[in-house]
Amino acid sequence: MKAMILMKRIILPGLSIALLIASCMRPSRAADGTSISLASFTENDVAVTIQLDHDRQEGSFLSATFTPPEGYHLYSKDIPINGLNGLGRPTRLELLSESHIRVVGELTESAKAGVPDFEPKELLVYPAGAVTLSLKIDLPPGRDWFNDAVSVTYMACSDVLCFPPVEGKVVPIRVPGADVLDDQ
Amino acid sequence: MKRKVLLTLITSILLACNFLFPAKGTATPEAMNPRPTEKSSSGDSSSDIALIGFTSIRLHPGDGDLQIMLAKEAQKATALSQLPVVEFDATWCPPCRAIDEAFDAKNELILKAYDGIYIIKLDVDEWEWNDGRVQNFAFDGIPVYFKLDAEGKQTGKVIDGGAWKEDIPANIAPVMDKFFHGD
Repeated sequence: MKAMILMKRIILPGLSIALLIASCMRPSRAADGTSISLASFTENDVAVTIQLDHDRQEGSFLSATFTPPEGYHLYSKDIPINGLNGLGRPTRLELLSESHIRVVGELTESAKAGVPDFEPKELLVYPAGAVTLSLKIDLPPGRDWFNDAVSVTYMACSDVLCFPPVEGKVVPIRVPGADVLDDQ
Repeated sequence: MKRKVLLTLITSILLACNFLFPAKGTATPEAMNPRPTEKSSSGDSSSDIALIGFTSIRLHPGDGDLQIMLAKEAQKATALSQLPVVEFDATWCPPCRAIDEAFDAKNELILKAYDGIYIIKLDVDEWEWNDGRVQNFAFDGIPVYFKLDAEGKQTGKVIDGGAWKEDIPANIAPVMDKFFHGD
């Protein structure tokens, strides 16, 4: 009986408030704007999808979602490009120098990287599972679509097994001009 | 009194015999550590682990044809009464590093598991791991171990890091011991 009262008076209202706050703090870009899938592939057991998200208020974001097999993790975007003392490889999404797209924000991550169970502890890893990296971008003006490319780097390991890294893989994408998205 | 002297004499003779002619298979330190270790022919000594009881070498593509080298190494292993095993690793692989560190720390469990084993290390970056293959070795992840026969050919017995759940010697050693010394 006491448990029921506790449930009704505290837990359920608390959960509702938490959900409300969470939904206010992280509005879904896809729900309010436009999402365009630009590329997808699987290499070295990690599925990668590249996506463009746009809405009028927030602007445009280029995202890459890296999905390793169950139980495998990816490494923090912030570890050195050649790994920590050679170990691991960062998860990265980058534009090429000749790209028409302009980066206007920092690379953000969907999950916070943490200290691994194994040594070295400085080799930060994301929790096992998928990770999305996003870049706030400015698309060139115009109503034409253009060819571009992004570069991705990643490496997936479990605590006991590693797949080979994919380093600086260039992924061709076809991207709309800013006016195409604003018209939608 | 005579019986006491006789008993003392017999005991002394038995002790002397045991000392002078030890039984075959007795684990004296020399008998436990008879096997030499070997270094990579290309002189990459930093990547080789020289420990008593097993051999660890690293082969590089510049040293020659892999199959020919494996055949030669398997012959050497057989001459040493050791079992040839190929290990694929890489410098970027934390689980591979964890095993090397267990050796560096001279972990007793690991040393015991590897006793009598002739490890032939191949770096997947040097040997070009493409589409899950390095020549006729097929595997998805590293570290991975392939048992070889006396001619340097794969026996079909393979094990990888997935066989143990955590990269700690207490988990690795019993699994590797069973793989190396089991059927």
